[in-house]
Amino acid sequence: MDGSTCKVLLVEDNEINRVVVRRLLGELNVRIEEADNGKAAVDFIREGRAYDLILMDKEMPIMDGHEATRQMRSLGVSTPIVALSGNSLQSDRDLFIQAGADDFLSKPLSRGKLAHILAKYGLNHGD
Amino acid sequence: MGKYSSWDFKKRDHDAKVNMNGDASVQVDKRRGRICEHADICKGYLDDQFNQIEELQDEVSPNFVEEVVALFFKDSSRLLANIERVLEKYPRDFSRLDSLMYQLIGSVSSIGALRMKNECTSFRDHCSDGNLEGCKRSFQKVKREYTTLKQKLEKYFQWLRQAGPVEQATNSRK
Repeated sequence: MDGSTCKVLLVEDNEINRVVVRRLLGELNVRIEEADNGKAAVDFIREGRAYDLILMDKEMPIMDGHEATRQMRSLGVSTPIVALSGNSLQSDRDLFIQAGADDFLSKPLSRGKLAHILAKYGLNHGD
Repeated sequence: MGKYSSWDFKKRDHDAKVNMNGDASVQVDKRRGRICEHADICKGYLDDQFNQIEELQDEVSPNFVEEVVALFFKDSSRLLANIERVLEKYPRDFSRLDSLMYQLIGSVSSIGALRMKNECTSFRDHCSDGNLEGCKRSFQKVKREYTTLKQKLEKYFQWLRQAGPVEQATNSRK
């Protein structure tokens, strides 16, 4: 049984992005769960699910990334939350950091970006 | 779009030159199907993000590129139809138009469709300026880029299908 690989929650409404990131994280030997909007992600947390890293998209239906991040922090989640956005505007980053995100990645995501962020938070990707 | 034959990945052949219906020969990396890196068909239309998607295709996911591209066209056609509807019914709802185009940019970026992304960005600029005529002109360009991209990707998959049998012919000469 493999207990050493980390678990990531990907919160992203775009199906293509989920398919590609799922594959990229799979290649990095990372377990992944997915939510297609912020509310679903917050519900996972309320259910008691735990993650080593959360990748949070910005614009999503029902609940956006900013609000989902705020709610997670108010629930006591200390897991690193990495904001994802198609923009790399400083204002975008600032808003996410204010909401409680720890880091920021611009989309589209690549293997290199994901490997870097996993390493930054000391996450074992099972090499 | 039709499935192309999967390759025998255990053979791991060297690159083979494939002559495509009288077009210039195209070098094909059989292990990964990285045809776009070598072919003029993609020049300017698809950026490195598409190469990344190609690299994710292997014996475990032999149709990965095709699956992603199919998802892209399904998602894009829906969003384009929605944008067209909003332009007709609520032409000055720039916020809604911008939001829809932002979603389209997300899909377009995820497969590396560079030219289409640039036109989508131009559309959003017109939304910011409240320029309806600019939006309409830009949207026509977005649709043209979409059509062109679809044709190019259909050709890409056609080439991949043709490359499959050539590898078997190459092996039989050993």
